[in-house]
Amino acid sequence: MFAYIVKRLLIGVVTIVLVSMAIFALFWYGPSSPARPICNQETSNRCTPERLENFEEQLGYNNPIWSEYGAYVKGVFVGRTIEIGNSTIDCDAPCLGVSQRSRALVWDELIERLPATVSIAAGGAALYLLLGVPIGVAAARRRGSFADKALVSSFLFISSVPYYLFALLAWLYFTLIWDVPILGSSGYTPPWESPWDWFTGLLLPWICLGIFGCTQYTRYTRGAMVEALNEDYIRTATAKGLGPRQVVYRHGLRAALVPVITIFGIDLGVLLAGTLFTEYIFDIQGIGRWGLSATYSLDLPVVSATVLFAAIIMVLSNILVDVMYSALDPRVRLA
Amino acid sequence: MSLPPVSSETLGHLSDEAPQAPEAGKGKGPVKSQSPLQIAFGRLRRDKVAVACAVIVLFFVLIAIFAGVIANAVGVETGPGSPATELDYLGDGMPLNGPPHYGFDPNHPFGISPSTAEDNLAQWLYGCRTSLTVAALSTIVASLIGVTMGLLAGFLGGIADRIISFVTDLFLTLPYILIALIIAPILNERFALKPDIYPQAQLWSLVAILAGFGWMSVARLVRGEVLSLREREFILSAEVIGMPTRRIMLRELLPNLVAPIVVAVSLMLPAFIAAEAALAYLGIGITQGESWGQTISQATKYFKTYPLYLWEPLIGIVVLVVALNLLGDAIRDAVDPKTRR
Repeated sequence: MFAYIVKRLLIGVVTIVLVSMAIFALFWYGPSSPARPICNQETSNRCTPERLENFEEQLGYNNPIWSEYGAYVKGVFVGRTIEIGNSTIDCDAPCLGVSQRSRALVWDELIERLPATVSIAAGGAALYLLLGVPIGVAAARRRGSFADKALVSSFLFISSVPYYLFALLAWLYFTLIWDVPILGSSGYTPPWESPWDWFTGLLLPWICLGIFGCTQYTRYTRGAMVEALNEDYIRTATAKGLGPRQVVYRHGLRAALVPVITIFGIDLGVLLAGTLFTEYIFDIQGIGRWGLSATYSLDLPVVSATVLFAAIIMVLSNILVDVMYSALDPRVRLA
Repeated sequence: MSLPPVSSETLGHLSDEAPQAPEAGKGKGPVKSQSPLQIAFGRLRRDKVAVACAVIVLFFVLIAIFAGVIANAVGVETGPGSPATELDYLGDGMPLNGPPHYGFDPNHPFGISPSTAEDNLAQWLYGCRTSLTVAALSTIVASLIGVTMGLLAGFLGGIADRIISFVTDLFLTLPYILIALIIAPILNERFALKPDIYPQAQLWSLVAILAGFGWMSVARLVRGEVLSLREREFILSAEVIGMPTRRIMLRELLPNLVAPIVVAVSLMLPAFIAAEAALAYLGIGITQGESWGQTISQATKYFKTYPLYLWEPLIGIVVLVVALNLLGDAIRDAVDPKTRR
């Protein structure tokens, strides 16, 4: 088990290093000159070739790419000083660079925006698991009944609609047109400032993520449950006189949850993408919104930090899922 | 429900005996043999939902192909209209004819857009074309990459399998939307001042992103199938008689993989259509030229006074994506009876 976790962590580190290299190379070779966006920014779009040359020199774009990547990596672990234009900025240990637009340290902005994104994702995920799994179990127990069929087909329909349109319509009607009390006031307030405002501001986004996500989890849970309830050990459990509750939840659900958890881990990426849309539609200043506006203003350090952040979350969640998988299902052997 | 995993070949025989395929036993002469795909198609044809969805999809495909013809026939064209004469600048900036304030305008059946006075119907028709073009191209490229990777990994095994599996996992780590986030500013910086090639560059990079981050599911699926097919007698005998590897892959393995590939492709199309519109909506997809997502993002501002402007592209996307999804689901059920409810 321990050896397996170490191996997975090592592969994860390799993955993150490769991703960071790819991002670095993309921003190095992608633009006509990597210093062009910041030069335009600094000179208010009067970037002459000489000025561009200056910026390239100052930002180290004349050095070979590997030495600059080395400096970037060194910045992440030890910190470094960055000179832009006339200002010198001290960038401490986890240094992901300096935002070209706001001149703030990318790491600080990331930390500042993290709570909003985590609030949305955690609330949404909690809601769709809490809704999806019980509904799925209930549907599986009444398999073939009218209620089950109606549920399956209506959920299939809802989950076919793209999420962002679903959320957009919710926002347009609940906030813009009807201005429903409580639900209509979307936006992020830190919970330590006002827990009530935090809750009401995120309620509509959570409900959107929850309803949309729960359709998928109902389907997965129902499928896994139907399979599990047909197993021999369920018949054994019933035969030895256990109550239906215990048979379904203790014996059936435990086996059925394993694939659901796997999908949950894989879906974290979808959830992250979902929070990007959620933040955009409900105008919540989280990491997704931040990366998106950095894209419009060509703020390359911010964009690369956003993508790197997402990649790290994905890798960690994948490892976590595999470990949990073996903890929940003794049949799975890690090798 | 706990049937042992069966291959598509045995399924064919099973279904011949089952009452699900009545026409297989009909007729006077000897029983006509049917390939698994023919059986699946027969099942699909009797599925009312699937047929309805197929008709809807066909309707959109025809619109996409004949967008120009339809636009000409109705007498509408893309490009900015004349805002000065067609919009009410003294009032709220809404069109002087047609929706939202006045009734139907025969010159512009779908109305015109605020601020630019573009014709909505023309935008919608060409938006449909963009959507289906991007989705179809991405699907083709993604399934080509996926099938190749899956075949190589599954058949060659060993080190090739390990490398391909690692690459697959690596690509699965990053959602396509993040890559779009990276590529968009680069494209913008490179091509913003070259309006003649900018739309092309956007289209092709979008296809590259969607396909580049959409092939993994096909690769995994094909690899799994190949792993089980590889040990079967007909492959072993092909190896024994000295058939070259390339020929085994293309002539022996590939025909047996058609069913899973068809299922994967049919579920990929709606995902790509939704993704194209999503990126355009966020302003990092197709921003030059017509796209439903882009219209939605513009229409959000005017929703309070002009809801029709938003509903037109929205209904287009929702109907097309839902129809494709339901069709894909029906195809999966038809090909694999195990998932049948």
